[in-house]
Amino acid sequence: MEKNNNLLKEFTKGIFRENPIFHIVLGLCPTLAITTSLENALGMGIAVIFVLVFSNLVISSIRKIVPDKIRIPCFIVVIASFVTIVELLMQGYLPDLAKRLGIFLPLIVVNCIIMGRAEGFAKNHKVLSSIFDGLGMGLGFSLAILIVAGIREFLGTGRLLGRTVFLGFSPLAVFILPPGALLTLGLLLCLFKKLKKGS
Amino acid sequence: MEEKLLVSFWPHIQDRVSTKRIMWTVFLCLLPSGIAGVYLFGLHALLLIFVSIFTAVITEAIIQFLRKKEITITDGSAALTGLLVAYNLSPSVPFWIPMVGSFFAIAIAKQAFGGLGRNIFNPALSARVFLLLSWPTYMTSFVKPFSGLDTVSSATPLVLYKEANLNLSNMGLSYLDLFLGKRAGCIGEVAILWLLLGAVVLLFLRIITLHIPLSFLLSFSTLSWIFSKSGPFKGDVLFSLMSGGLILGAFFMATDYVSSPLTKKGKIIFGVGCGLLTFIIRRFSGYPEGVSFSILIMNAFVPLIDRYLKPRVYGKK
Amino acid sequence: MDIKTSLMIIIGMVFINNFILSKFLGLCPFLGVSRNIKPALSMGLAVIFVMTLSSIVTWLVYRFILLPLNITYLRTIVFILVIATFVQFVEMVILKKSLALYRTLGIYLPLITTNCAVLGVTVLNINNFFVNNHPVAGSFFYSVLEGFFAGVGFTLALLIMSGIRERLMLNDTPSLFKDLPIAFVVASLMSLSFMGFNGFRF
Repeated sequence: MEKNNNLLKEFTKGIFRENPIFHIVLGLCPTLAITTSLENALGMGIAVIFVLVFSNLVISSIRKIVPDKIRIPCFIVVIASFVTIVELLMQGYLPDLAKRLGIFLPLIVVNCIIMGRAEGFAKNHKVLSSIFDGLGMGLGFSLAILIVAGIREFLGTGRLLGRTVFLGFSPLAVFILPPGALLTLGLLLCLFKKLKKGS
Repeated sequence: MEEKLLVSFWPHIQDRVSTKRIMWTVFLCLLPSGIAGVYLFGLHALLLIFVSIFTAVITEAIIQFLRKKEITITDGSAALTGLLVAYNLSPSVPFWIPMVGSFFAIAIAKQAFGGLGRNIFNPALSARVFLLLSWPTYMTSFVKPFSGLDTVSSATPLVLYKEANLNLSNMGLSYLDLFLGKRAGCIGEVAILWLLLGAVVLLFLRIITLHIPLSFLLSFSTLSWIFSKSGPFKGDVLFSLMSGGLILGAFFMATDYVSSPLTKKGKIIFGVGCGLLTFIIRRFSGYPEGVSFSILIMNAFVPLIDRYLKPRVYGKK
Repeated sequence: MDIKTSLMIIIGMVFINNFILSKFLGLCPFLGVSRNIKPALSMGLAVIFVMTLSSIVTWLVYRFILLPLNITYLRTIVFILVIATFVQFVEMVILKKSLALYRTLGIYLPLITTNCAVLGVTVLNINNFFVNNHPVAGSFFYSVLEGFFAGVGFTLALLIMSGIRERLMLNDTPSLFKDLPIAFVVASLMSLSFMGFNGFRF
């Protein structure tokens, strides 16, 4: 029972208390670049969850045998391998999505969240906890980019997931452009600051 | 009584009366141009001006109320921002455009930074570019002056020059037309005559100095003259000066105290930068007009300019 | 190797497709180091340095190892390892040779390694200057040029931002916006202003 509670804690912390984007503010590059549509965000979210969970798994499994001095390069190889797998799978089965995600697909390797969890958690914790940590953080990240993408796609094109939603207004094209992304994130960070203060 | 140490940045506008006086004077000096705009483009332009000013003032009042700060809308700065937002719009835009614009100008470009004296970027121009990128069709549709109720759409002289390679006579215009504002354009930018008169008053009252406008216009003119599309040293400088928002920008927006440098040297650098960028954007980029972008870009450099060109401490050699 | 393409690359990397304000690469160090001007300048120089050298090394590796051996799908892994290794090496060399330089540049080097901007520019080079697995004419020169000026663009945005943030610290920014949110608003306004360069053509 204890064990299950702990696992649940590891899982949920990534979503709320320590949400990688809104709380710790990491992994910004994809958050701004690919959130022009919900579909992109969904694709990226799934890719990141996959890489996070599996790299956490592997890194946690080998944590006792990896010499401390070369651990960073080792982690990089593990993460990069899973990213390559995701890249190849996506290019094979979802080539349009892979094209839209562009360089941000291989750039998942340097997504600070993944290395952050490997270094900050997986190397010190058991395999099962690490898996749940990866799952939680990945879901937290996905949730965050879905929110940003939803706002941007809705305000910028009046659509959600490609389908037109009832509008009372003419869409503001600026939101699918870089300035709109930065503004959205800035205002969301304000919102979260307010929510945190209130709680 | 506890006295708080006020560590703030320029301008230390402590004197409320002087801020009020300056803002409303600038407002008054800008009015003739707007009246000319309404005369040229019709009553809808007047509506836009009113909506814009009203939204700006209300937004500032509400935000200051929510922040539990003193409400300073009578100091004229919100009204001035509202006026300038309207002046940068095409006279045919729907009424909600200046509403969104003024809201953005006050709430984001000004109040989010802390209010008067603290913004980095010129609020009216920030709003203008925000609107341009959000609703490009509305923001780039212009009308001929004196079209009455059935407005006749027309491209601005700058667009005609850039896209269709027309010169002044091909467009059916003369220098006098440009000077009096008889061309398609934004509400407050076309009436060069009235803008210049207002600018002269401001210069006379020492509310603005010549450093920025002169360096802006000189650098721009020189570059347009030398590197014109029609051939080296063949640029139609008068045309370039009187088209687009250059006069409005150089005298009334680039000179905004808060977002421009402190020192004389800094002002000149600022002006030259604006002139250079306006030329480059007008000449090479996809946009026909570069004044708004160039002033905003130079606004971003102002903290650096001020940092490295510190004003001489009084008394020091 | 013609002037026009070179100029377009330069203008493109610094203004039109600025890594920070447009492509969103390198945001973490951008936000982290932009609070003060001096460290921002140092970070900027380090980034230019790493980006240029990485462009050189990864181009050579791609051209003479990955392509001939037909293992281009290993590009991601190989590039990141190459970058990480030689930056580590460079850091050691700088530490040995010049403590002053180390203090200016060196401490930022590990930060830059896992920075999307560096890996980003190397992948961008491959995408731009290799067609059908063959290098285009002038590919090496253009890649190095792109790497260098991508760094310059990064540094420019970083410098402007640090100047603004230093000044904002003296302001009475509303607590809701203090520090990060206003930094994003500033970046969004900077990005707005840089959009003026869109559609640039000679």
